Amino acid sequence: MIEVDQLVKQFRAADGSLVEAVDGVSFSVAPSEIVGLLGANGAGKTTTMRLLATLLSPTAGTARIAGHDIVTDPLGVRRHLGYLSATTGVPDRLTPREVLEFAGRLHGLDRAAIADRTATLLHTLGLESCESRPCGRLSSGQRQRVSLGRALVHNPPALVLDEPTNALDVVGARDLLNLLDTLRDAGRTILVSTHRLHEIERRCDRFVVIHAGRVVAQGTQREMAAEPGSLERAFFAAVEGSGGA
Amino acid sequence: MSDHERQNRWAAIRGVAGRDLLEFVRDRRTLFVTLLMPMAMYPILALASTIGLRTALADLDARKAPLPVELVLSGVDADRISERIMAIVDSGSSFPIDWPASVAIRVESAVASKRLIDSTGADAWIHLPPGAITTLDGLKTLPVDVRLADARRNESRLRRHILAIVKALADDARLRRVTTAGLPRSVLEPIKVQFADEVVKPTDLTLDGVLPTAVGAVLVLLALLTATGGFYPAIDAIAGEKERGTIETLLITPASTRDIVTGKFLGVFTVTLMSLAANAISVSLTIAVLLRLLPKGLDLGISTSLAAECAGVAILAFMGLAAVAAAACLAVTSAAHSTKEAQNTLTPVILLTSGLASASLVPGVGGPLVALVPFAGQVWVTREALVRESSLPIGFLLMLSLASSIAVTWILLRAAAVALADEEVLFRGPDSASGLTTRPAPRDLPTPMQGFGVAMVAFAMLWYVNGLATADPIVALPIQQMVLLGPLALITLWQRVNQWQTFRLVWPSGPGRGSLTLCAAALAGVGLFVTGAAVLLAARGSELSPAAREMAERLVSLLVARPWWVGWLLISILPAVCEELFFRGWVLAAFAGKRPSRSRAVTAVLLQAAAFAAFHLIPERMPQTFVLGVVLGWMTLKTGSLLPAIVAHAAHNAVPLVFLGLASSEWLPDLGGKGLPPWVVASAVAAAVAGLAIVQTTGTGAVFRTAGK
Repeated sequence: MIEVDQLVKQFRAADGSLVEAVDGVSFSVAPSEIVGLLGANGAGKTTTMRLLATLLSPTAGTARIAGHDIVTDPLGVRRHLGYLSATTGVPDRLTPREVLEFAGRLHGLDRAAIADRTATLLHTLGLESCESRPCGRLSSGQRQRVSLGRALVHNPPALVLDEPTNALDVVGARDLLNLLDTLRDAGRTILVSTHRLHEIERRCDRFVVIHAGRVVAQGTQREMAAEPGSLERAFFAAVEGSGGA
Repeated sequence: MSDHERQNRWAAIRGVAGRDLLEFVRDRRTLFVTLLMPMAMYPILALASTIGLRTALADLDARKAPLPVELVLSGVDADRISERIMAIVDSGSSFPIDWPASVAIRVESAVASKRLIDSTGADAWIHLPPGAITTLDGLKTLPVDVRLADARRNESRLRRHILAIVKALADDARLRRVTTAGLPRSVLEPIKVQFADEVVKPTDLTLDGVLPTAVGAVLVLLALLTATGGFYPAIDAIAGEKERGTIETLLITPASTRDIVTGKFLGVFTVTLMSLAANAISVSLTIAVLLRLLPKGLDLGISTSLAAECAGVAILAFMGLAAVAAAACLAVTSAAHSTKEAQNTLTPVILLTSGLASASLVPGVGGPLVALVPFAGQVWVTREALVRESSLPIGFLLMLSLASSIAVTWILLRAAAVALADEEVLFRGPDSASGLTTRPAPRDLPTPMQGFGVAMVAFAMLWYVNGLATADPIVALPIQQMVLLGPLALITLWQRVNQWQTFRLVWPSGPGRGSLTLCAAALAGVGLFVTGAAVLLAARGSELSPAAREMAERLVSLLVARPWWVGWLLISILPAVCEELFFRGWVLAAFAGKRPSRSRAVTAVLLQAAAFAAFHLIPERMPQTFVLGVVLGWMTLKTGSLLPAIVAHAAHNAVPLVFLGLASSEWLPDLGGKGLPPWVVASAVAAAVAGLAIVQTTGTGAVFRTAGK
């Protein structure tokens, strides 16, 4: 379960003024649910996700991941959250197997668990054929799958994925989204953001539209994406209705 | 912390270290810099220096080699003098020093001789006055005019050759005079020295004097290359991870920032040690090869046991140096966003380390305090193991150096952890850091980089001013303080840093408690000065370094010659205000940031105190100023105001003025260089403890609270 409660994050802009990148955002994501966080560039999606991943501290408000508060229990959050961002890279000189094993060690897994999770993820993510090749020699899609594997190595109940399909081609994006379907069916709580509305309009159970740091629309798939292309119309209607775009 | 948590922490630290090491050993660039470059560098340097040395020696030999000399003599007795000289040459007896390779003599008229010498047909022309032989064989002195050929006038070797020929002629004349007078030859040789034992292999070669300098130079190079060994790994470990976008994946794991930094430190430290080992092996082999090339019978002046002891000290001291270098590299790169930014920042730091290491070779620099200074200390202690100039045991000096290395490493790693977790450093764009030419957005407090930068600039300017400014304290002291405040004022205004929040010139604590806090601060300042003076007297007696003695004499002359308020203004009030604004205002605020954690506050207080001590430039004052800096930093954080630190500093500096006043009014008993009486020391300690206890009680603990504008 992801519960976001009046989350606020202020940054100081170049002219010295305070900018509220995230301004009182509230929403929730239930287990076995994929929620799409939609917004234009600079809307506050990445900041919201970094706050959830405890990479940033909120100015006000809070959020809970699997019952752990991001302000008072960041370590608890990290133990129960898998995070993947658009800018997340993989070490060029390590192999996918080494990346996953190392991530497992940092999450406190024992040797047997690390071996088990690594084997499972290499198989599930289709990385067995390149498991011993340095990541620097992998394709963008393979690298992104390694990143996702790293986010999943400790078997977290919640996933926060910031534009995970950004660097992927159509096939790679489809495979990754299929994997998200599988993870949802396995009971995971998934929050995903993307610019590519058409990719996720049939995948997400609910959508949260964020604009200028505020939530401007929320709704189920039936409400916002009943037919192909309607998600895009709903998105623009929400953003224009809030005075943006 | 439970055992399970401890195991998890250790697993995370090992995991980070292991991963980084794996990446390092797969990076050809790192391997080249850390292992291959040292293995190749020393032989290349040795080869180049050997070739250079041989060329220089050959040149020196050529310069020393005797030349053939062609003389032209003129004058009535020229023929007879020529015969005497040639007889000396033909006798083959022992010639004086600087005797030429061969002597050729022509006898000509004065006119012909002049023509010859003008056309460089001869090297030198000696004109003999009439009656030269008579004078030589008589009892008077023969005046002789010598003229060298114009083209060879500046050749000192030719002059020495001529003097040698004249000396041989004079010796011959002395012998004739003695014989004529019927005296034995022993008249000319009152003493004859004969050594009882024969030297089997006589040699003048010894490296006794050269060795410490050569070893010092090698140690500085070793320090520089060891520090360089941490350069690329540190950049790759943090700035590289930021650039690749992999640092986030570390920061979202349950491992704490401190554990991540510790793991990365172990990785970089291991590579730095590998670099040190490669350097040490290479330099040892190179020295072994060079020693084989040196002449046999050369006395190195080192026994095997001393060499083994030196090697042991070097290994331990340089392990400390490697730790400090690795931690310094990590701390610097933690504050950088990209590898380019990290390289730009780290390069001057590496140069600074070599400067510190070189400083330890300066004659007169040494002692336990130097052993505490990073990079200088390790080099000095290692060199000291060989030359033994200090009376203190080498084991004690090594322990000081190692303790300092551990402390400095710990502080630097804390600073690295703080910088790594800094949101602004982590997520700002690679090149968004504003330069000095662009005015950034207003900010409440200076950044750590601004704190460091201003301190560096002020330190350099202070050093220049101290070296160039007039010795008159009435001019020099205000200039020194203006050097601190000038750049500070400019950068504060230009970089739009909030003066109120940075300098915190507000009344301390709550209503009615501020006055008590200030009185307590003054009490602590007085107590600290007297306690520090007592410790210094106990440690050093009345022995002062020339720099300290000169400064004390200048200050006393200032106080004696001027009205009393001049001394109070220049020694107590001005430094208290200016230095507090600089160190406890700007530098402390920059390092601590807003509402710092306890560990960040401790790190910031220690760093600014170290800078405060370094700024005083006189080694024996540094421990006292460091302790004072720590106390004043703590006081500022504790009260949320700069005023207590200013008052304590002013009171601290005022104590010698009071002592001097009492001495001139004959109130002060003559201490006779025996140190302060116990009751004075006890009172001072009590005053310091009481003052600090009151500040501890009255201080609100509000660190950097927002001051009213």
